[in-house]
Amino acid sequence: MIKITNLEKFYRTEEVETIALNKLSMHVNTGEFVAIMGPSGCGKSTLLNILGMLDDPDEGSYVFNEIEVAHFNERKRADLRKHNIGFVFQSFNLIDELTVFENVELPLIYTGVPTAERVKRVEEVLDKMQIMHRRNHYPQQLSGGQQQRVAIARAVVNKPKLILADEPTGNLDSSNGNDVMELLTDLNEQGTTIIMVTHSEHDARYSHRIIRLLDGQTVMENIMV
Amino acid sequence: MFKNYIKTAYRSLYKNKGFTAINILGLALGLATCLLIVFYVVDELSYDRYNTKASRIFRVNEDLKLGENNVQYAVAMPPLAKTLKAEYPYVEDAVRLKNAGSFHVKKGDANIIESKMVYADASIFNVFTLLMISGSSSSALVEPNSVVINETIAKKYFKNTNAIGKIMTFNNNWNLKVTGIIHDVPKQSHFNYDFFISMSTVPDSKSNEWLRSDYSTYVLLKEAKDHTKLAASFPAFLQKFSGAQMQSELGQSIAQFEKGGSHFRLNLTALTDIHLNSNLSGELGPNSTTQYVYIFSAIALFILLIACVNFMNLSTARSSNRAKEVGVRKVMGSSRKHLIFQFLAESILITFVATVIAIVAAVILLPFFNQLSGKEIVLTVDSLKWLVPSLLAIVLVIGSLAGSYPAFFLSAFQPIDVLKGKLSAGFKGGGLRSFLVVFQFFVSILLIIGTLVIYNQLNFIQTKNLGYNRSQVLVVKNLGELNQQTNVFKQALAELPGVKETTMTGFLPTNGWRNTRIYFKDATYDQKKSLFPQSWQVDADYIPTMDMKMAQGRNFSKDMQTDSSAVIINEAAAKFLGFADPINKTVYQSLGGDRKGTTPNVKECHIVGVVKDFHFNSLREKIDPIVLTYGQNPGALAIRVSTSNITGLMGQIKDKWNSLSPGIQIDYSFMDQDFDASYRSEQRIGRIFVIFTALAIIIACLGLFGLAAYAAEQRTKEIGIRKVLGADVSVIVAMLSKDFIKLVCIAIVTASPFAWFVMNKWLQDFAYRVTIHWWVIAAAGVGALLIAFVTISFQSIKAALANPVKSLRSE
Repeated sequence: MIKITNLEKFYRTEEVETIALNKLSMHVNTGEFVAIMGPSGCGKSTLLNILGMLDDPDEGSYVFNEIEVAHFNERKRADLRKHNIGFVFQSFNLIDELTVFENVELPLIYTGVPTAERVKRVEEVLDKMQIMHRRNHYPQQLSGGQQQRVAIARAVVNKPKLILADEPTGNLDSSNGNDVMELLTDLNEQGTTIIMVTHSEHDARYSHRIIRLLDGQTVMENIMV
Repeated sequence: MFKNYIKTAYRSLYKNKGFTAINILGLALGLATCLLIVFYVVDELSYDRYNTKASRIFRVNEDLKLGENNVQYAVAMPPLAKTLKAEYPYVEDAVRLKNAGSFHVKKGDANIIESKMVYADASIFNVFTLLMISGSSSSALVEPNSVVINETIAKKYFKNTNAIGKIMTFNNNWNLKVTGIIHDVPKQSHFNYDFFISMSTVPDSKSNEWLRSDYSTYVLLKEAKDHTKLAASFPAFLQKFSGAQMQSELGQSIAQFEKGGSHFRLNLTALTDIHLNSNLSGELGPNSTTQYVYIFSAIALFILLIACVNFMNLSTARSSNRAKEVGVRKVMGSSRKHLIFQFLAESILITFVATVIAIVAAVILLPFFNQLSGKEIVLTVDSLKWLVPSLLAIVLVIGSLAGSYPAFFLSAFQPIDVLKGKLSAGFKGGGLRSFLVVFQFFVSILLIIGTLVIYNQLNFIQTKNLGYNRSQVLVVKNLGELNQQTNVFKQALAELPGVKETTMTGFLPTNGWRNTRIYFKDATYDQKKSLFPQSWQVDADYIPTMDMKMAQGRNFSKDMQTDSSAVIINEAAAKFLGFADPINKTVYQSLGGDRKGTTPNVKECHIVGVVKDFHFNSLREKIDPIVLTYGQNPGALAIRVSTSNITGLMGQIKDKWNSLSPGIQIDYSFMDQDFDASYRSEQRIGRIFVIFTALAIIIACLGLFGLAAYAAEQRTKEIGIRKVLGADVSVIVAMLSKDFIKLVCIAIVTASPFAWFVMNKWLQDFAYRVTIHWWVIAAAGVGALLIAFVTISFQSIKAALANPVKSLRSE
């Protein structure tokens, strides 16, 4: 599903050029659950942003579903993104002014799903995430665990092929964290490819494969059994 | 999708109630003020346009230059109207109006003073659109002693509008037949009369004199463009009709007259230009000037701009708080187009709400505004026709302008940058917002200085030594009612305790009669050396009663037989005549009429005194030369009183009056009130200015308040850290205020010279004026700084006093 080759990304300030990704190559197959680990500043988030087409690489190739996307413009990337990729963030990133239901509905609005269909699909996914009773609440009225469930619901409501999760349990206690990991595992078992950035060895154990990064390069790959 | 935008917008606005209120109310306040001014300007511009033939109506003016004196008259010669109509086929009709003064009109046993009366030719109803309720518009004013009254007067005297054929009695002895009832003349008319008396009643109206102008004369042309043709034919026309009279009275042909540097011309003023662009001698009523229309339009525009700037500043400031929303929406698949649309729609929606509030506010405030401006503006269905589309346009323009910055700026964010919070710290929108704040204060300071200068000038007018003393002078205006007994009345009043002096004359410095005559300096009767001064007939008590001072010579005296040919001139006249010592010099008063051989008809006068200059025109004008002649003029009686019991004295004066003139009320006023009345328009402008300035400052401060709040919010973490490290409240307040105060200072430096320049221009209109002192500018600057500082302090002190632990945790 994903194949990146010799990917490079630099950050320039006035005097210093920092290499975030240094000729990184990797691939992810459809249906895989991959965890990306490494110390702070190793390039995990940069990689995830490029994979999610929120950012573009400076050099190298990124093939998504057999399409070269490395040099797509923003509009094309956005188009590909909204139909194929769901995001889960550490800090949830829900819109405070919208209710649970409306937050989850948002991706469907942007892909032009008709109203009746939207309601059906949002209710379906809220039910699955067991937060149906909270549908008319605002994000601030929910616990962290509940907010992340809403965020996951929003990520999957469009039935994306790929979910990118950036430390999804980082702001949660261990019990809520485990719940979230269970949810992601379930999704993966139903066929969604998942790439997750994490600091937690415990969370990483839920994945099939761990890619360890250091200074923008792959240093090790562990296949989980 | 649209619903989703509205929902987000509404909830986001609701969450930030304070900001939203400042934002919407500021804009609404600005718009409401602007609307009121627009009503005012539209009203001013709509004068005389009620006439369906307005574009084809022109007034004929006379332009007379005699030696050094050039006077423009809004009136023309008695036979002009009918001659123009007869002479030029493209003159469809012509009409003359002549102010009739005031009369006592009988109602039952009472006599009521009515002063809005005019003599008018029968053609008035063909030229002007004064619609008849009953009566025939073609014949109503043909017969002598006919009168056409308006609806209000009909209801006042006859309780209904069915009064055709009824008789009205003027001054107890003159009966007029009501031949027509018209709708009241619209307020937006340069003349406003209740009674139209047939011109044929006045014998003088049939006069064939071509060298005298006292009839307001209007022509109705077949086509508007004919006015150039008509104006071009005036020289030949005058040659043909007034040449002979000029020859016999002045002993010169028109060509010789012009060769001597004088001239005698006619010109035209379009009817629709009269209210705003005509301020000649002999206007039918006080007109306005375009100057105030421009000034008010500029103020309206400024206030609207200030309000819009606020709106933009607060919207952009607040929008950075929505960066996260933008990021999330982008990650979820929103395109840039969607986001631009969302922010624009939101902004237009807010503007719409503000506009609705503004309209409601303007309608509620209209009566107060009318009181303030002395107008009677009413909103009609007609006004909605232009109001609604222009308001919709305003909503779209302001909404898009205010929304465009956040729309295009925020939608261009890279979503990851936003979500990581990289932007909210760096986004201060520095340049543009600073510029806008400077602009707001620039305008505010301009208005403050403008207000101060206007008030200084008004105060100067009110306290200036006018050369006579207007306080404690009572003027009986309808002295003529006493007929032969004026002297008896004067004598009786002189004996009352509390009455110091009395003088009998209609020629008073405030609101009195005016009369000009030609005086020749020597017996050559050289036109170039002629003086064209005010010539007032007064008695020996005039100068003491008015408390005027003599510069040279003596006052008139009852005991001097020769004083019948004596004159007293003012300093301006003395200067013009150029005598080293004017006392006992002779001047020659032209009496008009035919010449005796080569010499004009003159009266020799000797100068007995020079009175110190006194103001008898508006202070906008220089003091003109004036010649006082000795005689009895029963135009009015001015009484200098000296008593604390003015009501008691008034009672006694009324008793004397009633014993001499039963049935007719005494009509009197106080000279200082008359004086104030002649500056009412300036005072009104002053008051309006103060209110608009205050509003502009309030709106600008609302914006500053919001921005300061935003700046403090943005720097909460910085403030927290600084406090933890030991900064005290005053340091933090100074730090937060500094940036804004700097902007206000820039505004002061740029606005002051500009305001000085503009206000100096305004002052040029006054022959007697204040100078703009440095302290006016300094006061405006310090005032603006103080106001700005207090506004900012609210927010900065609040931020500085906050518990740093709390502000650090909030990050």
